[in-house]
Amino acid sequence: MTEVLKINVPGKAEYVGTVRLATAHVASYAGFDIDTVEDIKVAISEACTNIICHAHENPNFVYDVVLEVGGNVLTITVKDDGAGFGIEEYVTPVLGELQVGGLGIFIIRALMDEVDIQSEPGTGTNIRMTKHLQSIAV
Amino acid sequence: MAFSIGVNNNKEKSAWEIKLSGEVDISNAHLLKQQLDSSLAEAMQNIEIDAESLSYIDSTGLGVIIGTYGAIKKEGLWVKVANPRPNIKKLLNISGLEKVLCQ
Repeated sequence: MTEVLKINVPGKAEYVGTVRLATAHVASYAGFDIDTVEDIKVAISEACTNIICHAHENPNFVYDVVLEVGGNVLTITVKDDGAGFGIEEYVTPVLGELQVGGLGIFIIRALMDEVDIQSEPGTGTNIRMTKHLQSIAV
Repeated sequence: MAFSIGVNNNKEKSAWEIKLSGEVDISNAHLLKQQLDSSLAEAMQNIEIDAESLSYIDSTGLGVIIGTYGAIKKEGLWVKVANPRPNIKKLLNISGLEKVLCQ
């Protein structure tokens, strides 16, 4: 059985820590070890940060975080209906050539098992990522 | 966990010693940038970040450090990140920053 936690998050930087904390609790409850929980915390934060950086002109916008636990998998979806960005224009940073931006998506892809990012200018962003467990407590 | 910055001017090393505690993310990375900019405005010199008490940093925090590194490298100066915890060391490693900032 899949258990689902849905969070409706105000699109403010101050709430990213709240989402990070909630996700860490869910990942820990799902049975991930402490190192993997740390990875998942980084990934969810980067996803939320990406949404906030490419989101609404409306300062009061909200976005959705959905955490699904089941079938030995934790699936995290972060989505909004904001400005979005051209994912096809995203350029993977070249390691060793230090760049101020562009690290977030690179980090998410490095830490999670599967990552799917849908985003186009004007249609919002949907980031779906999964992490697999060998054995799960739920 | 709350975020705090400790600053010490180590004149012997010609370096700003920046001690970070807690978590750095999009909500407070600007405070780190303000502190680094302010310190460099006071004295343009090396920066050594003590990350022993830093429990978390995201790409916005790393971006601030990268930006500072890029700005002072031109002056022949360096930025170092010392004593990172394993989770932060991993992030520095996968982002390619470890070999630049942790030598």
